[in-house]
Amino acid sequence: MNNSNWLIRREFWENRAIWMIPAVFGGLLLLAALFTQVSIPRLTSPQESEQAAAFFWVVVGGMFYLVMGVYSTWYLLDCLYTDRKDRSILFWKSLPVSDVATVLCKLLVGMVIIPLVYFAAANVTALIAAFILSIRARASIGSSLWNGDVWGQVQVLWMYVIVTSVVWYLPIAGWLMLVSALAKRAVMLWAVLPPLLLYFLERVFFGTHTVGELISRRLAGLPLVSFKGLGSHYGWTHDGGVVDNAGSPAPSVWHLINPSGFFTSAETWIGVAIGIALIVAAIQLRMRRSEI
Amino acid sequence: MALLIEARDLTKKYGAHVALDRANLKVEAGRIVGLIGPNGAGKTSALRAILGLTHYEGHLTVLGREPFRQRTELMNECCFIADVAVLPSWLRVDQAIDFVAGVHPRFRRDRASAFLAKTQITGKRRMRELSKGMKTQVHLALTMAIDAKLLVLDEPTLGLDILARRAFYDALVNDYMDETRTILITTHQVEEVENLLTDIIFIDKGRIVLDSSLEDVATRFTAVAVMADRLDAARAEKPFYERHILGKVVLYFENADPGKLEGFGEIHTPSVSDLFVAKLSGGAA
Repeated sequence: MNNSNWLIRREFWENRAIWMIPAVFGGLLLLAALFTQVSIPRLTSPQESEQAAAFFWVVVGGMFYLVMGVYSTWYLLDCLYTDRKDRSILFWKSLPVSDVATVLCKLLVGMVIIPLVYFAAANVTALIAAFILSIRARASIGSSLWNGDVWGQVQVLWMYVIVTSVVWYLPIAGWLMLVSALAKRAVMLWAVLPPLLLYFLERVFFGTHTVGELISRRLAGLPLVSFKGLGSHYGWTHDGGVVDNAGSPAPSVWHLINPSGFFTSAETWIGVAIGIALIVAAIQLRMRRSEI
Repeated sequence: MALLIEARDLTKKYGAHVALDRANLKVEAGRIVGLIGPNGAGKTSALRAILGLTHYEGHLTVLGREPFRQRTELMNECCFIADVAVLPSWLRVDQAIDFVAGVHPRFRRDRASAFLAKTQITGKRRMRELSKGMKTQVHLALTMAIDAKLLVLDEPTLGLDILARRAFYDALVNDYMDETRTILITTHQVEEVENLLTDIIFIDKGRIVLDSSLEDVATRFTAVAVMADRLDAARAEKPFYERHILGKVVLYFENADPGKLEGFGEIHTPSVSDLFVAKLSGGAA
């Protein structure tokens, strides 16, 4: 376990983008908060203030989440490939560190640590941006973007999203790592082409869309499984307006998340099983393949 | 003598291509062994198997372990330098030392630092900023600071200039080697290591052609620069190789009676490189 500490540190040395991208992205958002035009309608009721705060925190977090998804995908696809390409795998393998530990630590970084870094960056950015906006638009919104209760709920929300994402996207991560351990070149193509090929073959020969549906369900279906009643509550996300259903109280995060549904869904656990199988395969490949 | 490495019927196939074909070899403790063969002979496959980097067929133990299944444990007592270029370009010298110190129980940081202090290399430099020779020094510093029983070097000086090559081998012999250590070197540049070795293993087309200590080589092999009028008589003694050079004919004999050869011409023990060429040039002339 002492080794895993060093393995994780090594990932930060190698992939400085892990913290640089969220830092730069956060910086850009803060510049935008400082210099772009803000036209926020005057908030008149406590409900409106609360909804504005919720909207603000969720949107900032959501932007970081999207960037994080792209970066994590790239990281997982790259993590067992680069050191084979530059042959430095021969150096890492000359040390008493098992392939199991190496692969699991990279998985941990890609699926848990990177999201936590983005989570922290999103929080810091949103906090400073809220402060900036409160000053710039103090006439209309005052300090209402800072709402301790909303902030606490957003923390719960994103932690829940991170945990469910790890579980839900495990098969995707396993597939990316398998490709990363397998491909001799063009990891991106290897990641995308086989599923695409399956999709077309199925369409041509059987006229069905099962593969495509399974994949798109896995890619986009997480909110449907992990939340309940999204559409009815989140009126204010539809047109970007802050006070779409003014007057009604902002929904509590505890009413939206659906952990019991998520963790008892067969879909969740079938995905986990597939993910584990793919990761085991990636470890086996890592043990056997040392160079390209 | 304890056997550090023992391989019986070691076989490695890549599809239809047989890289190692039932190879047998033994390496004893305290030796400096050269695994020598032409490109594509199976040297690298043999090393990969010994280091647990690849799956293989047959029986193989290294330091009493099965390399493929027990690579992690093996690497506690064995280290290797694969090639000068394998330290990743983004790694800083101090990070490399920190990492190895963190994961290797037998790494002595003070030794690595002392070795690097003799060079121009500072801790904040990244590998991509260092010359090949400097990278080799870093790798050597890391490796020599590990108290290992077996050191494996795979073409360690590939791409280095003559100064860096000489410095590499000098450091190896002077600062590293002692009777508790064993070194296995592969190279296709025989001349460079022949003065260093105590044992040689020749490998060709996946098979071990010769596995011998240099003392045995001296008694086993004889080269004779044969005088022209004795050529037919000398050939009757069944040399395994014949070399024509500057108007002279040199015949190579294995396990021949020295008494019989004396009259044919000037007798000497073949150098490792001559023996390598003789052995691998394909049987008798």
